[in-house]
Amino acid sequence: MSLFDGLRTLIVSWAQAGYLPELLTYGFVVNALMAGLIIGPVLGSLGTLVVVKRFAFFSEAIGHSALTGVAIGILLGEPYTGPYGSLFGYCLLFGLMLNYLRNRTGLSPDTLIGVFLSLSLALGASMLLILASRINIHILENVLFGSVLTVNSQDLTVLAVVALLTLMAMLPFYNRMMLVSFNPQLAAVRGVSVKLMDYLFVVLVTMVTVASVKVIGAILVGALLVIPAACARLVSRSLRGFFWGSVVISVVSALAGILLPIVFNLPVPSGAAIILVAGSLFLLAAVARSLVPAMKGDVV
Amino acid sequence: MNMAVTPVPGTGPAIAFGSVSLSLGGTDILCDICLELSAGRTHALVGPNGGGKSSLVKALLGQMPHQGQIAMTWPGDAGNVGYVPQALEFERGLPMTVEDVLATMVQTRPGFLGLARRHRELVDTALARVGLSGKRRRRMGALSGGERQRVLLAQALMPQADLLVLDEPLAALDEAGIRLFETLLGQWQAEGRTVVWIEHDLAAVRRLADTVTGLNRKLLFHETPEQALAPERLINLFSHSATEVPLAAGEVA
Repeated sequence: MSLFDGLRTLIVSWAQAGYLPELLTYGFVVNALMAGLIIGPVLGSLGTLVVVKRFAFFSEAIGHSALTGVAIGILLGEPYTGPYGSLFGYCLLFGLMLNYLRNRTGLSPDTLIGVFLSLSLALGASMLLILASRINIHILENVLFGSVLTVNSQDLTVLAVVALLTLMAMLPFYNRMMLVSFNPQLAAVRGVSVKLMDYLFVVLVTMVTVASVKVIGAILVGALLVIPAACARLVSRSLRGFFWGSVVISVVSALAGILLPIVFNLPVPSGAAIILVAGSLFLLAAVARSLVPAMKGDVV
Repeated sequence: MNMAVTPVPGTGPAIAFGSVSLSLGGTDILCDICLELSAGRTHALVGPNGGGKSSLVKALLGQMPHQGQIAMTWPGDAGNVGYVPQALEFERGLPMTVEDVLATMVQTRPGFLGLARRHRELVDTALARVGLSGKRRRRMGALSGGERQRVLLAQALMPQADLLVLDEPLAALDEAGIRLFETLLGQWQAEGRTVVWIEHDLAAVRRLADTVTGLNRKLLFHETPEQALAPERLINLFSHSATEVPLAAGEVA
C-alpha cells in the first residue's frame, strides 16, 4: 500500500464517519483532489518563469507532444493507463532537441516550435490511426482532455516525485533562470551557466507537463502553465505578488475544475473544466485591470 | 600598435590582447588585434557599428570563441568583473520592482521571497550611489530609459567590480545621469579600477577616457584622446576602407 493509498483510505473513512463532506467518500474524488493539490503549486510557480521567459508556445508544444508519446507507448506495449516510459522519453527528446536546434539554426523560437509541433502531431496522428484498430479509441479521449476518474496511486506517486524534483531544482535556480532571459551576457558575467539554465528549464517544463497529462490532458496541459501566471501578471505589482498569485490561481483552478463537474454532474472533462476556470479568472483579472486604475501599477 | 600609459595602482587588472582574431560564418569580425590596456585606467573603444567592439568585449568576457590570447594581470588575487549591458530584455508590463531585479542578481534565495537581509545594505548602497534610493519599489517597466540604465550601473556595484566593462552606458542617460556616470567613473579612476568602455559619444570619450582605441575589424589606433580624436583619425575610423594610421611620435609599437 502506497502513501497515497493510505491517505485516501483515511480521508474516505473520515468522510464516511461524517467528519468530512460526503463527496470525499468516493476514492476517485480524493485521488483527483490530491492530484490537483500537487499539480497546482508546481504549475503555478513554474508558470511564472514560462511567462517571463516567453516560453508559452514551447510549453503548449510539449503538451501536444505528449499525445505522440502516449501513442508510442501503447504501440510499444506499455499499459494505456500510464505509458510513462514513452511519455517522458519522447517528450524529453522533443524538448531537448528543440532547445538544441534553437541555439544552432538561427531560426526564431516560434518558427522552430511550429515546425516541431506540426511534425510531432503528424507523427502522433499517424500512430493513433494504427492504434484505432487495436484499442478502444475513446481511451485516448482521456489522454487528450484529462480524466479524474483514471487517476490512480501510481499517477499520484509520479506526480509527487516530479513535483518534488521540480521544486528542488527550480527554487535554487529560479533567479538564475530569470536573469538568463533578461540578458545572457550579463548572467554569464555574474557566474551563471547560461546553457545549463536553458536546458534545466526545458527539462523542468517537460517533466511537469508530462506528469500532469493524466489530469489535464495533452491538449490543455500547457495552458495551466501559462494562464495562472498570465492572470497574476495582470494584477500584481511585484515579483512576490506575481509568484504567489500564480500559485493560488493555479491551485484554485485545479481544485475547482476537478470539483465543479462532479458536484454539478456536468459532462465536462477535468482538463477542460480546469482551463475554463483558469480562463474565467484571467478574463476577470483583465476586466478588473481595465476598470481599476490602481491595478495598472506604475506602467506609463 | 600600443601606447604606454602609466598604470594606476589599485584593484584593476592590466589586459593584454595577443593577436586576437575572430570570424563568424566566414566573415572576419576581428583581425589580429594586439593591444595592451594598462591597469587602473579607463579605456574607450570607439568605431563604427559592426566594427567589432562588442565582439572584442565578448571575447574579453570569455563569451566568444576566438584565436589568440587574452591575458589579465591582476595586482593581487583576481578581483570582480562587472558588466553593464546596453539594456535588459525586459517586458515593460512585467511585475518586477527595481529591488526584485537586483535581488535576482545578487542572491540565490528566490526573488519572490524578497531581498535577503544580508544583501539589503549592498543594494541600498548601490541604489544610493546611482540616485535611485527612492525608486526601489517602482516597477522596472515604469522607469525611464535613463533610470533603467542607472539600475544597470547599480548592479555593477554589487559587489563593486574591479574590472568594469561598459557597453554604451551613456546612450540612454539624461544630463543628470551623465553627471552621475562621470562621478562614478571618477571614483573608479581614483580607486584604480580598470574600465573598458564602448562609447559612441566622442565628446564624453575625449573628456573622460585615459586612452582611446579605434576599432574597425582591425586595430586602427590606441592613443590618448587628444591624439585619437583628431579629425583625420575620425574620418579614417568611420570610413569604409579604414586603414591603420601610422604611429605618431611617442607611440610604442
